[in-house]
Parts: sequence; structure tokens; C-alpha cells
Amino acid sequence: MNPVKRWLRLYFIQAWFSYRALFAWSTPFNYIASKLGFPFFSMLLFIFLGKYVGLNDPVYIVIGNILLLPSLNGVMGISMTIGGEKQFGALSYLLGSPAPRSAVFVGRAFFHIIDGFVAVLIALPIAILVFHLDLTQTNFLWLALSVLLICITSTGLGFVMGVVTLLSRDGWMITSTLALAFYVLIGVNFPIELLPPVLKSISLALPMTRGIQAARMALNGAHFAELAPLLAGEVLIGLAYIIFGYALFRGVERISFRNGALDNL
Amino acid sequence: MLDFLRFARQQISVQLQIRTFNLYSLLLFFIQPAIFSAVGMVLSRAAGNAAPDLVYTVIGGGILGMWSGMVFTSTYDIRSDRRDGILELLIASPTSLRRIEAVRTFTNITASLVSLLVAVGAAVAIFHFSFNGIAILRLLLAVVILLYSLWCLGVFLANFLAWSRLSGSLVDFLELPMAFLCGFMYPITVLPQWLQGFSTVVPVRWALQALDATLLKNQEISQYWFHIGMSLLTATTFWLTSLWLDRKVHDHIRLTGELSSI
Amino acid sequence: MNAIEAKSLQKVFITRRGFWRQKRKSTIAVEDVSFQVEQGELFGVLGPNGAGKTTTVKMLTTILLPTQGSGSILGHDLVKDTSEIRKHIGFTFGGARGLYGRLTAMDNLRYFAELYALDPLYSKKRIPEMLEMVGLLDRSDDRVETFSSGMQQRLHLARALLHNPDVLFLDEPTVGIDPVGARELRQMVKSLQQAGKTILLTTHYMAEAEELCDRIAIVNHGKIVAMDTPSALRRRISPESVVEITVSQENAVVIEEMIKKLDGKLRMESISSLTEQHYSLFTPEPETVLEALSPALQTRSIQGLQVRNQTMEDVYIAIIEETSRDA
Repeated sequence: MNPVKRWLRLYFIQAWFSYRALFAWSTPFNYIASKLGFPFFSMLLFIFLGKYVGLNDPVYIVIGNILLLPSLNGVMGISMTIGGEKQFGALSYLLGSPAPRSAVFVGRAFFHIIDGFVAVLIALPIAILVFHLDLTQTNFLWLALSVLLICITSTGLGFVMGVVTLLSRDGWMITSTLALAFYVLIGVNFPIELLPPVLKSISLALPMTRGIQAARMALNGAHFAELAPLLAGEVLIGLAYIIFGYALFRGVERISFRNGALDNL
Repeated sequence: MLDFLRFARQQISVQLQIRTFNLYSLLLFFIQPAIFSAVGMVLSRAAGNAAPDLVYTVIGGGILGMWSGMVFTSTYDIRSDRRDGILELLIASPTSLRRIEAVRTFTNITASLVSLLVAVGAAVAIFHFSFNGIAILRLLLAVVILLYSLWCLGVFLANFLAWSRLSGSLVDFLELPMAFLCGFMYPITVLPQWLQGFSTVVPVRWALQALDATLLKNQEISQYWFHIGMSLLTATTFWLTSLWLDRKVHDHIRLTGELSSI
Repeated sequence: MNAIEAKSLQKVFITRRGFWRQKRKSTIAVEDVSFQVEQGELFGVLGPNGAGKTTTVKMLTTILLPTQGSGSILGHDLVKDTSEIRKHIGFTFGGARGLYGRLTAMDNLRYFAELYALDPLYSKKRIPEMLEMVGLLDRSDDRVETFSSGMQQRLHLARALLHNPDVLFLDEPTVGIDPVGARELRQMVKSLQQAGKTILLTTHYMAEAEELCDRIAIVNHGKIVAMDTPSALRRRISPESVVEITVSQENAVVIEEMIKKLDGKLRMESISSLTEQHYSLFTPEPETVLEALSPALQTRSIQGLQVRNQTMEDVYIAIIEETSRDA
């Protein structure tokens, strides 16, 4: 088989199997509970918290929490499908195979990107119905692109956290903390301008921040010229994380051949 | 009595070592409450308030930490035991699962108290919250009733979760919905009337109303006792239900074979 | 009074398949198992994977409720008297699960000692005794997660014996243990029986069953297909001997021609490798077979020759194959 065809075949097939083996749920109820349960109720908590302190328009919070949904797949999901290999004892077999690592590693993102996008598609109509979200001004093309970009760039951070979970038994704890920190750091519940300068710098160094801003602007009818700087920034940050995550994985793999780091923990 | 105390001491020691003293507790007791409090504080600033609400935004974060700590440790106890093949050994021992879970839940609740204490400490040290004029005895009673409510719920949840491997998914729906419906970080009156009805049967809601109003010094004594009474009644109902569930669970899971995860 | 009684025990599991519309599927893990074990007896249960051995043990140790049938342990009913039964039984399952990895060996045993409501003074003496018995006393303060699977299995045995039960259930106790460790464990099991304990042992290892057990039940497809003493089971197949022949591949055809002439007088099994062919000829007349093969002996076509009695493994395989065919 020609190498490109083989690479593509490996990319898609193992993407599907790793998604099913390490992330998929056994029943529709489990799927809905995990994908929408926690995010939906945390959004409600923030809406009423906002109402109590005097913010009566929940739309900002609603939109932010919907745009956060891809991070569940991108960060938590990817780190689970990478860290899960070790938990299920399959990592040694993976590392001992001749499969090209780029297909195996980067391929894990594919179905999570789709899953994250679908989650937003499900949540938006619910938001329109329940919170009377007004989409009459929306530039749908750039909204879709921004959301897709968030789905992709969040996987970059997921790759990095996946390697952390491979190396450390408590890596998932760091991933969970990061996922919670998104509520503060990336413009989900309030504009990042309200953050202290230190936190704002962290915010700008994370993927999804610019994507979420761009998506909000697209919802208000912004055009490409206004969105371009944000989208370009998001692409660059996302690529940086993806490349760094992959390089980190290859580096750890090489070290592990010498000292068994990935096998022993 | 002495036998029970000895048994309890052993269970508490094991529970602290294997479940409580780990990094996950750090997340539940400190990090998550701090993040939710931070969101509340920034939203308060965005709304133009000069200072954050200390009772609901700061101390409420500590209450959330207690609740999350109880929910997750009690539920993970059963899930972990099932996965590690220990649930079978516990069920087949002469000591009832109900007794084991009662002591474990007590340990979890007591450990999670640290979240509330840290939140109160932050409110006092950073935001200069003052206890002047607060009825301390009533406050302490409200805290004790809150702990009792959490304990009753924890025991009920543990029995419920032992029922089936799949009931664990229900818990993912439990943590934040309760926080949202019971007014952990805002007065329950912020919710529409119809939503407030959902938490009528949840003992934590009533205990919190007694606790928060005592801290805010804006409650009549008759209302205080009403909230305490409702909390005791609903909590005890959950506990009695767990006694009934215990027998059912014991027979049901041995019939379905769901004592182990394989 | 028998130590263990099982009467027509049955266990059916219901599983669900599919994501959207879930279909129920019934699996009969144990169809109909009946037997009695006398006090002080060492009773073995053999069977292939999925035969129902572990499910039977779990029903008898009150971890599972039978779907149908009944049973008793020391006269106490399996369903009605579970709390009483639990005080008098100890059990281990094969594998490393069932211990708290983060706790030390000593702490694990202390934990279970409390669950079995053992007097603290008694526990203080008993726990080190048990650890010494299983050869783990010097590792008592090490965390169980640092133990090998064999060590964890031994710790399980110590746990099962803490409360000095009258009846022991050992489900594949030597699985994953090295030969030396396995032999030591078998010696422990034998001495426990000599101390008066009733033991029900499940195993895959025929030699182990033959060495240890007073009686053996062979289970297949959820039913007992044979039950007797090891020597009676061997006689049951037939009073056959086994003639084992090894020849090179070049000579295999010649040997097979000779064996064909004996058709009807024997049953043959063969295994081939790259350079050799090995035959096991089951026959009540080994001398007839040897006579027929003597030309090959004279021409040195046969590389290896041995005549032996049937082992427990031969018996087991024959019975399992016979019952699998009938099923």
C-alpha cells in the first residue's frame, strides 16, 4: 500500500477505535449526562450567580458556556484517549508497533473535533428556545469557522495534557483543574479585560480565548476583516500547542526507551 | 459500643489514607470552590459592586467544596471498590455495607469541612468578614445540621450507587444541579418559584438557609427553627430510605452479579 | 452434616447489547450444579474457561444469589442465613484484585480483621502468624502495590484465613504463581486440610487437582459432567495406557501406515512441528501396539518412545471433548 494511503487509513481507523475504546459511553443517557450535564448545570449556576450580583442578561454567560463545550472533548477527551492507553495496559503494544506516531497521536483528535462541534450544534437550539438567543444578526459562516477552530485548537492543549497524564498518575488532576480554570481564564463568563494583568496574559497564551471572542463577534454580525486578527492568532496558538504536544510525546517516548518511564508508572 | 468505635477508627484510618489524602481532594475541597468563587467575584465587579458578597460568593464556595467532596468521595468509594474487586469482599464479610458506608461517609464529610473552614478563613483574613453580632450557637447548630444533612445524603447515595454499575452516571447529574437548585452560592429566592420547589426535599437547602441567614443576621428565630426542622426531617427521611435500600441493594446486586466491574 | 451442599444451583445473567435500542440477552453461567462436600474433605472443581466454576463459588460464598436451586454451608441456608455463613467461610479469587494497593500488607489485614469483627488481641497475634505462614512477614510494612501478583495472591490467602474459617473456597489459587511458589501454596493447602478445614478448590492445573483433591468434579457448560476420586475418574475413560512416539517428519508416513493397521484398537492424537511428528496412542493393549511398531524400532525410525498411564489431563480432555460434542 502506498505510504500516504496507509497513513490516512491508519489515521482514520485508529481515530475511530481509540475514540470508541477510551472515550465513548455505553448508553445515550451516559453520553448526554457527561457531555451536557455538568456544563449545562454549571452554566445555570453562573447565570443565577450573575443575577444575584446584578447582571440580569444571561446571554453573555450562555454563549460563553456553549462555546466552552468543545474543550470537554478537546482537552479532557484527548488527554483521556492518550492517558487511557496506559491505564488499560495498551501503551506498550502501541509503542512496540511500527505504526507512524503522527497518525496514531494526531489522529486521536479527529472524532473529538467532530464530537465537540456536534455538542455546540445541539446546545445552540436549546439556548435559542430557553434563553431566547437572538441569531438574526449572526454571520453563520464565520461563526461555524470560529467554532470549528475552537474544536481544533483545544485538541492542542489536550495533546500536551495527554502526555502529562502518561507521565504522572495524577496528570488527570492537573487536566481537571485546567478545565475548571477555563471558566475564569478564556472569556466564558465575562470578558478577559476584567481579569488582573497576570491572568489576562495567561488567558491570551491559551487556545480558545481568541476563538471564543471571534465567535461572539460573529454572533453579532462581524465580518472577516474584523475577525481575521483573532482567527489568525487562534490558528497560530493552536498549531503551536499541537506541534509542542506531538514533540513532547516523541521526546518522552525516546526517553522511555532508555529508562522505561512510560511503562513503569 | 467499644467494638463499634474500634471498627470506626479502623475504617476512618483506611478511608483517609486511600481516598481522602490525595490530590483529587485538593481539587474538590480547594481548587473548584476557589474558581467558582472567583467567577462570582468578577461577575460582581462586572455588575458594578464595590465588594463581593462574602456569605454567598466566598463562604458559599466553601459549601460547594463540602458538597462536591461528599458527592465524589462517597460515589468514588463504591466505584473504586467495584473496579478493584473489593466490593465483593465487603459484601461477603459479616459486617454490613451500610455500617461501612456510614463510617466512610462520616469521614468524607468531616474531611470536607476543611473546605468551609478555608473559605471562612479567606473571608475573614482577606475580605475582613466579621462575626460580630452573629448568634454563634445558632451558627454552630446550623453547621452541625448541615453536616448531618450531608451525611444522610451521602449514605443514601452510596447505597443507591451500589445498586448498579450504571447508576454512577446519575451522579454526574447530581453535583452541580444540587448546587444550583439549593442556593449554594446565592439565596434560593433568586430562583423562580417553580425551581425552588425541586429542592424542598433536599435537606441541604434548608440547612443552608438557616446557616446563611444566621451569617447575614437577617432571620427571625421562628424561621430559623423552621429551616432546622425541615432539614432534620428531610435528612432523616433519606437516612431511613437508605436503611430500606440496604436490604434491597444487598439482594439485588447479588442477583444481577454487578458486584464487580468484570 | 455436610460442610457444603449444592442442589441444582443455577445462575442466569442478563446483559444488554446495543446503544439506542438495547436488547436483553440471557447467559446461563451455571445450569445445574449439585454436589456435597463432607467436612474435612478437599474437593476440586475443574473445567474450561467459562464453564461456571467461579460463578458456582460465588454463589456458595454468598456473593451471588442463585437464580434457582439451593445450597447450604455447614447446615446454614445460602439465601436465608448469609450472615451466619460469612462468619464461617474464607475465600480467595485468582488474580491481584481485591486489595488496597496504597495500604501495607499489615494494614490490609487489619482492615479485614475489623470487618470480620476479630478481637484486637487476637488480631494482633493472628495477623503476623498468617503473614508468616504465607511467607510475607518481612514485607508486612510494604505497600501492596509493590507486590508481585504471586505475593498478592498469598496475601489473599492470609486474608481468607484470618478469622480461622471452617470452610475455605480457593478459586484458582496458583494462577500466575511460579512453580516454586505454587508448590509451597499447595503444601499450605494440604496442611490446612490436615488441620481439619474443608476446602473447595477450583483449578486449571490437572496435576494440582490430582495431587490435592479427595474428589474432583469436572464442570462444562454450567453442569457437572463427571465427579469422583481422581483414580476412579482415570478408570472411567477406560483402562488405557498411552504410547508416546516421536518420529522425524520423513518417517511419519511409514509410522502412520503401521498405526493404520491397528485401527480400532486405539485412539490417536498427533502434534506436528517443523522437523518432528509426535503421536499419543491411547490403547488398552500397549503390547500390541509395540509389537506392530517393532519393525520401525529395528530400523531406528522412531526417535522417542514411552509407555505411560493416562494422566488426569488426558482424562479431563477426553471428558470435556465428549461432553462438548454432546452439547
